[in-house]
Amino acid sequence: MEGNIWISGVIYGLSMGSIFFLLAIGLSLCFGLMRIISLDQLLYYSLGAYVAYTVETVTHQPWISILCGALAAGIASLVVERWVFYRIYARELTFTMITSFGILIGGVGAIKYVWGLVPRPASIPVEAQVAILGTPVPVYRLIVVAIAAAVYLAIHVALNRTIVGKAIRAAVEDVDQVEGLGVDVYRLFTLTFVGAGMLSGLAGALHAPLVMVDPQMGLEVVPFVFMVVIIGGLGSIKGTLVSAFLVGQVVSLGSLVYAPLAQMAPFVAMLVVLLVKPTGLYGSVLLRR
Amino acid sequence: MRDLEANALILKRALLERMLSTLKWWAGVLVPFGILGLAGWVLPLPFVIEVLIFSMYTMACNFLLGRLGFISFGQPAYLAAGAYGTAFYLYYFGTNPYLGIAAGILTGFVVSTLAGAVFVRLRSDYFALVNLALTVIFFYTLQKVLAPITHGDNGLWFLDRMQNTPVLDLTAPRQLLVFAWLAALVIWAFYKYLDGTVFGACCLATKTNEDKVKFLGYNDFAIRWTGFVIANTTAAFAGSLYGIYFGFVSPEMASAARAADPVVVTILGGTGTLYGPLVGALAYVGMKDLISRLVGNWEFFVGLLLVTIMLAGEKGIWGTLQPIFQRWAWRWTPEARE
Repeated sequence: MEGNIWISGVIYGLSMGSIFFLLAIGLSLCFGLMRIISLDQLLYYSLGAYVAYTVETVTHQPWISILCGALAAGIASLVVERWVFYRIYARELTFTMITSFGILIGGVGAIKYVWGLVPRPASIPVEAQVAILGTPVPVYRLIVVAIAAAVYLAIHVALNRTIVGKAIRAAVEDVDQVEGLGVDVYRLFTLTFVGAGMLSGLAGALHAPLVMVDPQMGLEVVPFVFMVVIIGGLGSIKGTLVSAFLVGQVVSLGSLVYAPLAQMAPFVAMLVVLLVKPTGLYGSVLLRR
Repeated sequence: MRDLEANALILKRALLERMLSTLKWWAGVLVPFGILGLAGWVLPLPFVIEVLIFSMYTMACNFLLGRLGFISFGQPAYLAAGAYGTAFYLYYFGTNPYLGIAAGILTGFVVSTLAGAVFVRLRSDYFALVNLALTVIFFYTLQKVLAPITHGDNGLWFLDRMQNTPVLDLTAPRQLLVFAWLAALVIWAFYKYLDGTVFGACCLATKTNEDKVKFLGYNDFAIRWTGFVIANTTAAFAGSLYGIYFGFVSPEMASAARAADPVVVTILGGTGTLYGPLVGALAYVGMKDLISRLVGNWEFFVGLLLVTIMLAGEKGIWGTLQPIFQRWAWRWTPEARE
């Protein structure tokens, strides 16, 4: 019996880590390429969850609704990028951080206005359970992990094998040089931002059945996402993956040991990591000030 | 003989100028506070008290952001430190609200000294997030870990335990207003005074170029640490006033959802300007009051306003108004016209 709890705990941590990864990768990419801190990714996360929930209640097609959630988040991020971020890419980091916080707060207000304040339960696409070492595990959580793994692979391939991906990687190193080569960097920025927004929306849509859909959901994960990005090191994709799963496990297994630890343990971990290595586990030297 | 007269004249003029500048200094302090103090008799009392306390909270953040260049998303931790210091004293030990405030300030001082020693080595973004982490740790410590002492989410109620004090009775709202007014005035004058000192200049210098400060022989770390402790002790003071005002504290005070409020208000008012925190707090509390009464969701409008202000050039309300006022002042002073 004791072993069962730990196995389901690990699976729970893995699925949580996957959601954190999908969310944090957007923030990390935006930081790496454009040197912005895009807190509004958490708005696209809430939006993705809400759109997926609404479409699901109408059509009863869970996977299509998740796709719709990601698409809606992508469209919203495109609008925000064109209207707001396009004008402020050149500004300093804290400036974008505060502006995007304004977008996040405003968006949460808009969501409250449209969908109301009451948290709503979203239905789970796959109800089935599968036994791993004799422990019943919900299949949906495994699918979430698989999707996150697929996204990581896709990003990895896109950045290393395609010409656009290579341009993005080069721009992370030195934007001016890439612009000098005749690449329209603003197009790269838009592409990355919308991609990040879609991934955040996907995270929200996937997370919705596991938690309740509620207007504050974006704000609730802010500390965790930040922690993932910081522990991994801003701008590093591999670091984000490692730290997302690390944080997921710490939250999940920590709660098994001592319930209040669940929310606190990762922050203690972050504090320790930052004080020992101020740029995070895989942080680049570029950021040292 | 003539020389002596001339000297006396010069001396007199210098003295007059000195007096005039002192007068100007204090006029700059007293005029806005006079207006705020008078507002206490016109506007609803809770509103003015809230504005005063919030402006103190914002002044701390303004000093961090505008003078030291630290952006902190962890101010609620220090606010809660002050509030809980006061609450513990009033709930478990004594009944004198003034000693309660002293206990709150002391707690804030200790917490910020300890935290500052490790935090100020980090720079802007990481600093913001480490402070956020501290806030979350505080929140869960107060809510869950120390639940037997803090009563978790129910909070500590000590409104009835506060005894009446002879001069300014903090249990009476009107006199609490006077106290909050005085406190805000003193804090504000203190920050204004700091701006003119060597320490204030050093703070600004570490913000602009810390290497140069080191080369000039100043202890960069000590300057930032001192600045951090000063600012967050102020935040703790504001927290203990909140505690006294509500007669109640709960872990909600250290909630991470409110972490960005002081930063937002600082920027709303105008970062680094002296009047910014006052104007920002007034605008923010007023807007929250008004909008939540009219529409019910203030977040949307606050967000919209924030984005608009940032796109308009991040100068904030006071930063935008200041040049206009200055132009008026120019027009009205006779010497300037010559």
